[in-house]
Amino acid sequence: MFDFGQFMPPLLRGAVLTIFLLVTSGILGTLIGLIFGIARSSSIRVVRWVASIYVNFIRGIPILIILLFIYFALPLMFPTVTFSQGVTAIAGLSIYAGAYMAEIFRGSIAAIPRGQSEAAEALGMHYLQKMRYVILPQAMKIAVPPAIGFLIALVKASSLVSVIGYTDLTRAGRIITSQNHLPLNTYVVVAALYFVISYPISLLGRWYERRLT
Amino acid sequence: MTSIPSQRQADAPRAMVTVRGLHKRFGHLEVLKGIDTEVNESEVVCVIGPSGSGKSTFLRCLNFLEKFDAGTVTICGHDLTSSSTNLNLVRRDVGMVFQSFNVFPHMKVLDNITLAPMKVSKVPRAEARDRAIALLEKVGLVDKADVYPSKLSGGQQQRVAIARALAMQPKVMLFDEPTSALDPETVGEVLTVMKALAEEGMTMLVVTHEMGFAREVADRVLFMDHGLIIEEGAPADIFDTPKHERTQAFLSKVL
Repeated sequence: MFDFGQFMPPLLRGAVLTIFLLVTSGILGTLIGLIFGIARSSSIRVVRWVASIYVNFIRGIPILIILLFIYFALPLMFPTVTFSQGVTAIAGLSIYAGAYMAEIFRGSIAAIPRGQSEAAEALGMHYLQKMRYVILPQAMKIAVPPAIGFLIALVKASSLVSVIGYTDLTRAGRIITSQNHLPLNTYVVVAALYFVISYPISLLGRWYERRLT
Repeated sequence: MTSIPSQRQADAPRAMVTVRGLHKRFGHLEVLKGIDTEVNESEVVCVIGPSGSGKSTFLRCLNFLEKFDAGTVTICGHDLTSSSTNLNLVRRDVGMVFQSFNVFPHMKVLDNITLAPMKVSKVPRAEARDRAIALLEKVGLVDKADVYPSKLSGGQQQRVAIARALAMQPKVMLFDEPTSALDPETVGEVLTVMKALAEEGMTMLVVTHEMGFAREVADRVLFMDHGLIIEEGAPADIFDTPKHERTQAFLSKVL
């Protein structure tokens, strides 16, 4: 039988590490996304160009490759550069999330009518004031539903960090099945824990949409 | 001649807006083909003409929302063509009201009006608030201060937009077809506010299709067609005895 007393603590430890990873890379990814989303909406061509290289490049490669590259390939190119599993996991997921969040923010900024920008400019606001007080507050509201959708996808994508040896929920489950030889019971518990992490995010999204109407 | 030179200078009208040889093209389409005009202090100038004649583009060049290709614009003493001119300083002196209102939907009416004075001109909150309340009284919306713009009619939103522009205490007000997007029954309330503003001595440039307003309130009317000022003069002259055949043709359709 599945011994809850013995196997739940390591699984819960894995779940906590997964949550930690999601919170840190969610915040960092949002910040990166905000910066690159604004850059992609810039009127300066070079800025727009640099930002779109990042976004399109990262969106075009699997998250698994990003993680393997940071963990195994970077140290080969620069022998002094080595990252721990935790740093690799956070960096990899943040870079990945940043590219998708940038697209979400770019789209949201583009959805704000041009007249809003013109009205702000006609009142004498400079670029930062215009973005801070007029454009971004409106764009953020539009960005919330797709951002929540992406965050739920990120919960599941985060399971890939197990390949570089970061002991998240998925890897904790794998280690335990190798000990108890009960993959069915163990993975049901793992799946349930993933659901417990991601479902509140869905609820948050539903609450937000109800609040808007 | 017995008049004293200095006396004459003081009495001479002060040009608030001077436009010389203004050219603007969008790609291959030349929308402004050399505009020359002046607007004096406290003067109300209405710009009329068929759609596509360049009236709105002309107005938008005056606060540089539209870059122009040739010519000079001097507004409130700022030369727009000079590279040392700080555009944001110019725009503090030049209020603009848009056809589509462009009120900020995420802010209450009062915050719409206090935002720019507080952030751009660094007016203290209490003073910005007092100024906003006074302006809301002027446009007849003081009871809507704590309401979001989405709860307002088009005419009310446009009056908020006028109050928002006035809160920066501009020296010139530009109106870009301010009533064209309004329901017929709310056009009057906006025109009434504009008329009161004109009577207070505000310098105004109004692109409009409201010929009644132009006739009644304007000191001078410009008729534009195909990127040029075809004819200009006192409203009575333009509307009753237009000289140019294109003015005649246009007026025969709209009056």
